Amino acid sequence: MVITMFRKILFLILLCSITGFSQSKDPNEILNNVIKAFEEIEDYVVDVNIKVDVAFLKVPEANAKIYFKQPDKVHMESEGFALMPKQGMNFSPTGFLKTDYTAFYNKEIELNGTDVSIIKIIPLDESSDVILSTFWVDQSKNRIMKVESSRKPSGTFTIDLIYPEDKPNLLLPASLVFTFAIEEMHFPTGITGDSNSENNNENEKEDKDKMGKVYINYSNYQINQGLSDDLFENEKE
Amino acid sequence: MITMVRIELYKIFKKWRTYIGFIAIGILVPIIQIAMVYEGEHSIDFVTRNIQESFVFVGNLLNSYFISYIILNALAVHIPFLITLVAADMLAGEATAGTYRLLVPRPVSRMKIVTSKFFAGAIYTNLLILWLAVISLGLGVLIFGVGELIVLKSGTIIIFEKSDVLWRFLLAYGYASLGMMVVCSLAFLFSSLVENAIGPIISTMAVIIVFIIVSAINIDLFQSIKPYLFTSYILQWREFFNDPVDTSKIIESTLILLGHVILFFGLTAFIFRKKDILS
Repeated sequence: MVITMFRKILFLILLCSITGFSQSKDPNEILNNVIKAFEEIEDYVVDVNIKVDVAFLKVPEANAKIYFKQPDKVHMESEGFALMPKQGMNFSPTGFLKTDYTAFYNKEIELNGTDVSIIKIIPLDESSDVILSTFWVDQSKNRIMKVESSRKPSGTFTIDLIYPEDKPNLLLPASLVFTFAIEEMHFPTGITGDSNSENNNENEKEDKDKMGKVYINYSNYQINQGLSDDLFENEKE
Repeated sequence: MITMVRIELYKIFKKWRTYIGFIAIGILVPIIQIAMVYEGEHSIDFVTRNIQESFVFVGNLLNSYFISYIILNALAVHIPFLITLVAADMLAGEATAGTYRLLVPRPVSRMKIVTSKFFAGAIYTNLLILWLAVISLGLGVLIFGVGELIVLKSGTIIIFEKSDVLWRFLLAYGYASLGMMVVCSLAFLFSSLVENAIGPIISTMAVIIVFIIVSAINIDLFQSIKPYLFTSYILQWREFFNDPVDTSKIIESTLILLGHVILFFGLTAFIFRKKDILS
């Protein structure tokens, strides 16, 4: 209820601010160009290297292979254990823009030497998990350079994308940094670990209001190979 | 000395009670493993439920390492009972059977007798832990295979690469053996004081239970006593499953446990040498 009210207030504030200044660019056109360009990629296979930097999680650096097929089929394979943030599993603009939304053009800025347009979108569906998403779009190449998304109940996360310099037309990133807030964690005890309550309490306190980061490097993209649907069957996520 | 240790081992393994520990572990571990075949995924979900909210993961976390870690955690408190069954009988059993009078007058020093008995008890203790390791890891590998090990430690989830796990287990089992040696030497000490094995078995377990309960209660007075209780160091094998491993903590704990073994054995040897054989 509070979130719905917050969303309405946010919508009004954005509406008022936007009507006060004339829009120089059409946000829907910018986003549609990005989606249209991305939809030319029917599927891809990519090798990923994943490094997790989260206070409560010590995970070895992992290598995996990710298979993606439009519109949202994803499959991950790894010889060992590999862990990926749900939002970074398949970075696809269509994943963010698949529901009805209202888009607002904010402004143009320079981000890491690239001119980008900032677009804010608010989903129209009140049951949507997304409260507000902001995209930094490189219009010249129809690439999303950065995403910030506030969701319920997980909070806000940011995805910073870097694209391969040697492939200026590639719409898929060479690396990605996924930054997210870590909420207070409650760990079950008694199964595999010690039950030292004193230590647990200390760690619970420390875990509050921390940020976690996941660094993903992509390499060896194989695009439009005609991946079979069978590959994605029985996929949990 | 080797011949005397062999004789003592023969005496140990001639008794039925010696096999209770091996049989108990040989039954219990497969039961846990079979249960984990059906329920193991729930255990993994329980441990990983926090990270599942934000992450997707692939890999075999339900493997022999995970189950062996659970078993080692669960049995560490109960194995002392299986050790005391044998260790508490080593000297008291001779008194009960009336064989002290046959053994002590022989041309072998009392120190050699007590040392050979202690070594035989130590060999039994280490064999029991080795049996636990073989059946936990060996059978586990056959049923579940190997994979990364997930450990929950003081508010942190640690996932170890599968190539980084086996050495931790070997050292953990080695350390667990040392911990059980303290239990063995304590039961051996109590065994030298009486003429019936029941008393030393109950006394040793009573000491362990009281120490564990005192350590577990989070009261300042008890927490200040905790560093002086040997049970606080027996479970330090868990430190091998930390990242990074606190070697100074392990060395300190190892020395404390070794000190207890030497102290308890020294007291036993002193008591046995002075013992007036009346039975």
